[in-house]
This record gives sequence, C-alpha cells and structure tokens, in this order.
Amino acid sequence: MLTSAHMMALTPVILVCATAVTVMLGIAWRRQHAATALVSILGLNLALVSLYLVYSAGDVSTPLLVFDRLSMLGMVLVLASTLACLTMSHAYLEGYPGRKEEFYLLMLCAAAGGMVLVASQHLATLFFGLELLSMPLYGMLAYTYRDKRSLESGIKYLVLSAAATAFLLFGMALLYSQSGRLDIAGLLAGLESSGGGAWALAGAGLMLVGLGFKLSIVPFHLWTPDVYQGGPGPAATFLATASKAAVFIVLLRIVMVAPAFHVEWLHTVLGGLALLTMIVGNLLALIQTNLKRLLGYSSIAHFGYLLVALVVADGLAVETAGIYLITYLMTTLGAFGVVTLLSSPYSGEDASALHHYRGLFWRRPYLAAVLTVCLLSLAGIPFTAGFIGKFYIVALGVEAGRWWLVGGIIAGSVIGLYYYLRVMVTLYLVEPGMRGRDAPDNWGMKAGGVVVLGLALLVIAFGVYPTPVIDWMSVLTSPVH
Amino acid sequence: MNGIPMEHGLILAAILFAIGLAGLMFRRNMVFVLMSLEIMLNSAGLAFIVAGTAWEQPEGQAMFLLVITLAAAEASVGLALLIQLYQRFRTLDTDAVSGMRG
Repeated sequence: MLTSAHMMALTPVILVCATAVTVMLGIAWRRQHAATALVSILGLNLALVSLYLVYSAGDVSTPLLVFDRLSMLGMVLVLASTLACLTMSHAYLEGYPGRKEEFYLLMLCAAAGGMVLVASQHLATLFFGLELLSMPLYGMLAYTYRDKRSLESGIKYLVLSAAATAFLLFGMALLYSQSGRLDIAGLLAGLESSGGGAWALAGAGLMLVGLGFKLSIVPFHLWTPDVYQGGPGPAATFLATASKAAVFIVLLRIVMVAPAFHVEWLHTVLGGLALLTMIVGNLLALIQTNLKRLLGYSSIAHFGYLLVALVVADGLAVETAGIYLITYLMTTLGAFGVVTLLSSPYSGEDASALHHYRGLFWRRPYLAAVLTVCLLSLAGIPFTAGFIGKFYIVALGVEAGRWWLVGGIIAGSVIGLYYYLRVMVTLYLVEPGMRGRDAPDNWGMKAGGVVVLGLALLVIAFGVYPTPVIDWMSVLTSPVH
Repeated sequence: MNGIPMEHGLILAAILFAIGLAGLMFRRNMVFVLMSLEIMLNSAGLAFIVAGTAWEQPEGQAMFLLVITLAAAEASVGLALLIQLYQRFRTLDTDAVSGMRG
C-alpha cells in the first residue's frame, strides 16, 4: 500500500522521471538545444534538493525499495555525476551536426535507473534499475554513430552487457529456485538455512560474473578500454562515474545485509579478484598511447582497490568505500571533463590520443593544470583527494590484516605513478609545431569549463582539508538513523 | 510440479543457456549474436518460471514478464545498431567493425 510517506520518499526518482518526460515532450514540440539542457539541469537540481527533504524525513522502506542513508549517498553521487556529465554534454554537442536533444533524454533515463538501483532491496528492482541504467547507455555510446568508433563501442557494449545481464538473471533464477525468495535479505537468509548446495553456488557465481562485468573487474574487463575510447566523451564519462558508482553501491548493500557473506570461500574469491584487478589494470595501462584508454584501465585498477572494502566488509568498510568512491568520482569527472572539453565542440573522433596533449600547458595553461591535479589525485599524491581515499583503503586493509591486498595496493600505486607521470610530462613538453585539437578560446566562461575548474578545486580542497567530507560520510554510512 | 522435479527444469534451462553462450562466442554474424543473446535471456526466464512453479509463487512469472520486456528492448536497440552497421560496412560480420585493440 502506497502511503504519503512512500510517495514523499520516491520524490527524487519521480522528479528525474518527470524531467525525462518533459524533455521528451519538448523535443516533440520544438527542438531547442539550450532549453533542453537547461530543463534537464533544473530537474536534476530539484531532485537533489528534494533528496535533502527525504533525508531529513527519515528512513522509509517498501518491499522493493529502501530509502536509507546508503541509498541517499548513492543517489547524491549518481545525481551529482549526472549533473557534471550533462553540463559537459552541452559544450560537446554544440558542434554535433545531427540531433542533439535526445542525448539528454537518454542520460536522464539512465540517472533514474541508477537511483532505483542504489535503493533496491529486491532482485526485481535490482534488475530493473540495472537495465534502466544500461539500456540508455547503448544509445549514448553509439550516439555519434556516423563515427566508426562510436558505433563499434555501442555494439560492443550492447552485446557484452546483454550477455552479462543474462548471466545475472540466470544466477538470480538459480538462487530463487533454492530459497524461494526474491528480496535480498530473505533470499540470503533462506540460503543460509538451506545450506546452499551446488545450484546456489552456481547462482552466486553467475551473479558475481554479471555484476563483475558491469564494474569491469578482471577478468571481465575486456570491453572497458574499447568502449571508453570509442564512445563520445560525455557518455564515456557517465559510464565511468555514475554507472559504476551505482553498481558498486548495490554490491555494497548486498554484502552488508548478507549474513551468508561471511563465507570464507567468497572472501577468498573476491580477494583474489581484487588483487588481479589492481595489478592487471595498472600493468595494461602502462602500454597505452590513448588518454581515454589509459583512464579506462586506471578505472579498472581503482575498482580493484575499492573491492578491498567489500572483502573486509566490517568495521569502517562502508565509510571507507564511500570516501574512496567520492574521491574517485571527483577525480575521474575532472580528468574525463578535460578530455571532453578538448574535443568540444564535436568534430569527429574525440581528441584522446596522447599526442593531442603534447604541450597543452603552453596553449591552455589552466586546462593543463586541471588535468595535472586530477592525474596527481588518481595517483594518490598527498594534498589531493586521491590520497585521502587511498589512505583509508590501506588503513582498512592493515586493520583487517589482509597483507596480500595491502601489498597489491602499494605495488599498483607504484606502477600507476609511472604512467600518470608520463601523461603529465607530455603536457609540459615544448610544442613541436603541429597543433593538436584545442578547446574553444572561451572555454573557461562556458558551463562545462566552470564545472571542470570547480572539480579541480574540490580535489585540492578535499585533499588539504578532508574533515567536513569525512564527517558527512561517517554520518551517512552509520547504520542507525 | 506434477511430479517433474525442479532440477530437470533447471537442467533444461542450463542447457539452453549454454547453447546461447556458445552461439555468442563462436558466431561472428550480428544477427546470430542477437539470437544467441535472446536464447540466453529466455533460458533465464524459463528458470524463473520453473522455480516459481516449484515454490507455487507468482513471483517467478512476474520476473519472467520483466525478462521478456528486457529481451524485446534489447532486440530493438540491437537491430537499430545492426542497420547502422550494415549501412556503413555492407556486412553483418562483427569482426569487420572491430578496429580498436590493446
């Protein structure tokens, strides 16, 4: 039975969906690029404000969705990343010769999917949210379909993501057949009492494959660099930030409610995957000559670090995961934002090869500075946000005595430093005559430029004075309200 | 379930899933890739129906409706991309578009 409290708690999701419908009707009536962007940004901001009201009203739980602090955190992260991506898409799509407005529609639908996903406590909503998040991404990645690479990345993501969904669904069906429950808490409790068995084991494994694919955990990572490289800048940014954050939050929720999760073999498997992911991601990033591919491999490695929080799964694990996720999002949005700005307005393939960035400092000193800050933060240098995140993860690993994982993080960071520094050096090399792609002269005045500059300032501010965010995170991730 | 054990239904679904997966991995033609995906999704749907019947619950059928909706949406987006693929490359071979490596 839907009460007014339930409706109230659903307001942010409803607002985002209503914005999507408004944008759709607007497109049918009259195509207006700036107005469409404005309406979308307005709708997302309204949803953010309403999120605060929902938060102060307290926890609400329905059989399908739960609005507790963890889902609030997830929704804030999804909405904020979507806002940044939307702002960048405006600058990017200005030069796109085809139809521009549908991109916003797709992104709003995906944001609504992410919000449902982070609040799901039932396999039906988990599946629904995940697909509402992925389905628009096929369209977004193949949006500039006249460009060969964009089409390729769209097709690759469609085929592999649909296969991952099939794995996830088959796993869900097997778990359901063993427990007779579809809500996550009941399902896990049912499995614990029945003791599992081969079918349940296979089901859990298949679900892990499906979710691992969406998070691009090694060995399910092969799609990531290709899709990032080929997709248009804002779509790749959304995939690397909002989409991954939402999937990670739901995985975190499953781990937190699971009594059956304290099974040793699952910890061992997850620990092994985490170690493999950080090492392989960092090693493959070493040989890249394309910045978007390099950022793709670096995001694989970062999710390897994040998995440590899932392996430990007690004490400060949720808070650590939240802090790491927020630093990762800020930094990745900034780095991808610079790539997107340099490729804006759209004119064919994105400017992502490393030689496009040669001597960037001498042409666009501020943009080069922003990219430098973001790369330093990805490498985890002190006085940037990345350092705080990495510090928390290492502290968590040491506390739990997972020395292999701590060793993996340190080895990964050392390898990471090398390739991040290589990109930074490229930025400051003296320009050799040939000019790469360039951002428009007034980029700093445009909304996208302001967002990127703001993100770089945030990365530094959080690195120097992290207390407010840490306090906020410990409030948001404490279980009681 | 009328004397048929649940395991038999699940084994049938697992076989269908394996057939779909094999098709996905070994076929290079985009149409067959989409068909294999369809088989995989439907095998998951069949498993939900089997489990729902065994527990005598409606949830399995509800999930099946969600799965079948997804399969339809997936096919429509997939076919749209397939048309673009054919218009550009005059082929349905997925290897022809695979340009990015590393």
